[in-house]
Amino acid sequence: MKDQQGHESYAPGRMSRRRSRHPGWNRFNSKFAVTLAAVTIVGTIGLATAGGGTAGAASSTSSTPVVNLTWWTMWSGSTLQLLNTMVTQFNKTHPGIHVTETNIPSDATTSTAKLLSTIAAGDPPDIFTEWWPEIGSFAADGDLVNMNQYLTGQYAGLEKWEYPVAVQAGTYKGGLYAIPMSMNSWALYYNIPLLAEYGIKSPPKTLAQFDADQAKLWVVDNGRIVTMGFYPDTDGNGFQFYTTFFGATNCFNSAGKYDFENCSGAKAEMNWIASFSKYSYAQVMALQTDLGFVAGGQTDIWTNGKSGFELSGPWVGAQNVPVSNPDLEDHFGVEAFPGIVPKPSTLGQGNFNIIPKGAAHPAQAFEFISWLAGYKNESFVGSIDPKGGWVPAGPTVTKAPAYQTWLKQNSWLSGFLPQMSSPYTEAPTLTPTQAQLFAAENTATADVLQKIMTPEQALKYIDQQANASS
Amino acid sequence: MQIDVQANRLPAAPLKVARGRRRGSLRSPNRRALRLGLLFVSPWIVGFLLFFAYPFFATIYYSFTDFNGVGAAHWIGFTNYVNLFHDPLFKTSLFNTFYYTAIELPLSTVAALGLALLLNMNMRGRAIYRTIFYIPSIVPLVASCMIFVWLFNPASGIVNDILIDAHLPSPDWFFSVAWSKPSFILLGLWGLGQPMVIYLAGLQGVPRDMYEVAALDGASAWKRLRYITIPMISPVILFNVILQLVLCISYFTQAQVIESSDIGGPGTSTWFYVQYLYEQAFEFLKLGYSSAMAFFLFVISAVIMVVLFRSSARWVYYANEQQ
Repeated sequence: MKDQQGHESYAPGRMSRRRSRHPGWNRFNSKFAVTLAAVTIVGTIGLATAGGGTAGAASSTSSTPVVNLTWWTMWSGSTLQLLNTMVTQFNKTHPGIHVTETNIPSDATTSTAKLLSTIAAGDPPDIFTEWWPEIGSFAADGDLVNMNQYLTGQYAGLEKWEYPVAVQAGTYKGGLYAIPMSMNSWALYYNIPLLAEYGIKSPPKTLAQFDADQAKLWVVDNGRIVTMGFYPDTDGNGFQFYTTFFGATNCFNSAGKYDFENCSGAKAEMNWIASFSKYSYAQVMALQTDLGFVAGGQTDIWTNGKSGFELSGPWVGAQNVPVSNPDLEDHFGVEAFPGIVPKPSTLGQGNFNIIPKGAAHPAQAFEFISWLAGYKNESFVGSIDPKGGWVPAGPTVTKAPAYQTWLKQNSWLSGFLPQMSSPYTEAPTLTPTQAQLFAAENTATADVLQKIMTPEQALKYIDQQANASS
Repeated sequence: MQIDVQANRLPAAPLKVARGRRRGSLRSPNRRALRLGLLFVSPWIVGFLLFFAYPFFATIYYSFTDFNGVGAAHWIGFTNYVNLFHDPLFKTSLFNTFYYTAIELPLSTVAALGLALLLNMNMRGRAIYRTIFYIPSIVPLVASCMIFVWLFNPASGIVNDILIDAHLPSPDWFFSVAWSKPSFILLGLWGLGQPMVIYLAGLQGVPRDMYEVAALDGASAWKRLRYITIPMISPVILFNVILQLVLCISYFTQAQVIESSDIGGPGTSTWFYVQYLYEQAFEFLKLGYSSAMAFFLFVISAVIMVVLFRSSARWVYYANEQQ
């Protein structure tokens, strides 16, 4: 039937009449529709149960002689190569365990989301490498394996073997939830020729001297920075990275709530940060971007020779300078940062390995994690850490011959190790809102530097965000 | 039976008959056709239920809980919604999103329509111009963000080089609190090729004879635009406005790329709503709170859409609609 315009139009019953004229087509149509529906339903069920299927497969391997471990890391490039070297060595020396390293190329937030999804699906990796902001909330939510249960037998001495700050940074309410494969130690880099150009012959010993010295180095031409002394928010280093130098790492009130607003160290630190608001935040950030600090790039203002001072870790001298600015090699020094707390100190932060809840082989995962840290494996880890510019999780690794050779060849490294055992070095106490705390500290730092917030408002803001419970 | 009488309902027997009649009203071939049709659309129905209906209702449910993504979700009533209104970042992100939407939406609408009008004119190289203006919209978002940040870098960007050479003020663009939001708006305008193409298609559907008649009557170019072009493409304008509105309200990728790479968006000056939602969900693992944020955004969007559709009766003209 056609309508007035000559188009075929639909009328009830017409299809059935046609169908009756073409029974083969009719049967095909029905079969196709049924098949389509069946494929959809089966596919959907298959997708929904895929996680469980994988988990089952992983579990079934536990009865075989070789236990397969999956390790998720988020590094790439030269660091990933080092990790692969470690995995190869572990697999060679542990025939009963086979580790497969999987690189999750994403930022911390995305990899955290991926990890959560796998925990929820019941198929997490055996080991996950995590920067420490989320460990508190993971542990509080019961998403991690408490490793206290494994601290027996040959592992009974593990916690005493580690730097105290490494244990503190991985402990939540008495349970050990994370063990670092390496620690970060922060100290003050200085550019010797640039300082000499401005008449500074030796690195500053006090905070006042440091402030005065760095101020001499600022040169701005036509709204663009030519050289600068120091800025407290480059390389993503906000408020938290200076807290140990000001005694403001753990500011809690008697109710156990964050209370930076009434913490004298925090006030001193935020006021010190505010003293840099006389420089243009936008110009510093623009210069930083211009020089390549994009998405974790390996160059920054100091490495490029445009800044007199920078707070950073040993990887800058070990990896970044040789690659980005070889001319600076042998022309820089490292000192403990001159805060108001007696030197030396540093923020207890590192690259932590955790075992997600539901991991198929937690005991073997723990064995691998402690091996990576260097526990009863000092010689091998002592040969790897220098290549990554890493500070180890335990002091005895630094006694390994390869590590000692590295220290002797690079005298500046001595600026990073003493603070690891210093009584002034602290790690932020793990809490469920650690990530909120750090995010708030970063925002507050940037806002104080741009005069959007006063130091008092900034500290209040940090408390408010970090104490948010729901 | 007595209860049925009191409730003024039909007795059981006639009800059965009525049901039987309803079943019989769909004849056997039609029932088969319906069944076949449902089977054919079943992939879509399954997809809709799994990937839209379930997440939607789950989001509403979780917004009343303290769900963290893994553990059990505990009912906490309206706590998340109450907390929203005491959260300064929530207000900041909402303000930033509305600021962006309020400026970007009309600007991009006028600019895309203006470009489409120009590119609809008879001129040499029209196809080349159309291609040139469309290309930016197919550049991957991440790449366009990086290009923009470099172009507008106050320390070395070519834009400020030109401004300095011309002795004009050189803003700090993405790195300044005052200029960061306008910079994102400029970035948004760069990719208006998509709406421009849709306007162009709409313009080509306007009957030429209307312009000829209007020209014979002495209508100026402005009057032809005002009384012929705009009314005739008003459904296209409505469509584009809705699309752009949704994109503006859910603005995320560009801001996230630029801010997470520490290459702009100082402080919270460009902290957008969906970014904050994402941070709450996947960095702070507060999925209950972020579900409340998501549902709140849905309500806001729905209200705006309703207002837009209601108002469209006054300014959108459909040529074939019954008056």
